[in-house]
Amino acid sequence: MKLKDRIAIITGATSGIGEASAILFAEEGARVTVTGRDDARGRKVVAAITAAGGAAIFVRADVRHTADCERIVAETLRAFGGRLDILFNNAGVFYPHNAIDCTEEEWDAQVDSSLKGAWLMSKYSLPTMIAQRRGVIINQASGWGIQGGDEAVAYCAAKGGLVVMTKALAIDHGKQGIRANCLCPGDVDTPMLAFDAEARRLDYADYMKGAANRPLGRVGTPSELARAALFLASDDSSFMTGAALVVDGGGIAD
Amino acid sequence: MKGLSGKRVVVTGGASGIGAATVERFLEEGARVAVIDQDDAGGRALRGRLPKLAGVIRADVADAAAVDGAFRELDRLLGGVDVAINNAGISLRHDFMDIRPAEWRKVMSVDLDGVFYVAQQAARRMLASAGGVILNMGSTSGMNGYPRYADYNAAKAGVIELTRTMALELAPTIRVIAVCPGYVWTAMQEAEYTPEMKAAVDAKIPLRRHATPGEIAALFAFLASDEAPYITGHPVIIDGGEIAGGLASR
Repeated sequence: MKLKDRIAIITGATSGIGEASAILFAEEGARVTVTGRDDARGRKVVAAITAAGGAAIFVRADVRHTADCERIVAETLRAFGGRLDILFNNAGVFYPHNAIDCTEEEWDAQVDSSLKGAWLMSKYSLPTMIAQRRGVIINQASGWGIQGGDEAVAYCAAKGGLVVMTKALAIDHGKQGIRANCLCPGDVDTPMLAFDAEARRLDYADYMKGAANRPLGRVGTPSELARAALFLASDDSSFMTGAALVVDGGGIAD
Repeated sequence: MKGLSGKRVVVTGGASGIGAATVERFLEEGARVAVIDQDDAGGRALRGRLPKLAGVIRADVADAAAVDGAFRELDRLLGGVDVAINNAGISLRHDFMDIRPAEWRKVMSVDLDGVFYVAQQAARRMLASAGGVILNMGSTSGMNGYPRYADYNAAKAGVIELTRTMALELAPTIRVIAVCPGYVWTAMQEAEYTPEMKAAVDAKIPLRRHATPGEIAALFAFLASDEAPYITGHPVIIDGGEIAGGLASR
């Protein structure tokens, strides 16, 4: 087991990559706080983990809000003995719009959930990690945090911000035993893709064909991203910090 | 790591340093491992220490004919190759204005030509079988500027771009990834550093230390394994935060 007795918080863990990561981290021995806005789905993820013999709690929360982030950390510390080893800032939303079409509400939702939420969660998690002299932060960025993408102005801004914020976290807290890295997925077969296809008014099958048009010839699976997150969370990546691990089937190498 | 057991792995420059640590890690993962190295004594010592090693083939990666011969020997030893780790490399410390053409050629021939020769031999075999993974040793030196290593830096930048292009052309059969370490504490470094030099370098790294060879080996193991089936083409930096920015300029 790669995460035996580690305590992990995963935001946006009620579906997609977050859900897959929560289940995998628990299988690898971690005790996991599942957070998200959807109560029913969150409880389902926790039930799946506990049914398999793992340990998890659900905290219903929205990482765009300071009080929610403080509460996620506080409830985690209370449930799991006052320790916190892994923070996976995975939550995010996506509205496909260019600068003209993007509404202020959509801009705020994307930037606040991905970027501000990751900062707030780090802010409240770091003191415990620093006191332990050990902690890992993983930020869910995107290939579109490194290169630009079409009709995604706020998403690109949020994810690009995450890539560089990750480096800043690495520089500030490396000497305190904290590692911070980001994941940069390409298209991954999650509910977000179906939502995107619908928002772009594209037929889902056609959309998925386009998404698979990359060197490895397919979209990624939540499990593949969860396993990359596991690597970054585990001691196997003990010298990696400030890095962006691109997991995109070669998408942005082209 | 899932999927490494029984895999046929070749490591160039595997007799010492990061290469030797990588050999050890893959043996622990249950892989069948052979080494290509020109260091005869080092190779023999490694064989003595790691009896499970399938073999050490003596060859200079900078010599295309020697690499061709080494892969024929590898075919006899392992019957093919699933994972190739292009680890062999050299560096010379000299000012740009002092680099002689022969020195430039030497560094390029091992660090860039050698990667090409080995990768092409490996890829030929992988394309003819079930595919595979090629991991090339890049460096943060191929991404940032470092005075006194102009030739080495240029070669490593070449490795990173060679890797990207190979990944595009060889997908989806072969995954190709460059690993870009920062400072790694090996016997070679130990011989060159004073304690003061090491402390000065460590102070510039957010994690405040060099990597161990085993930490680089762990990244190779992850990338070669079934844990990373969707990763190809992009360089992976493992540098303790060194080139994230900031500290080096303080």
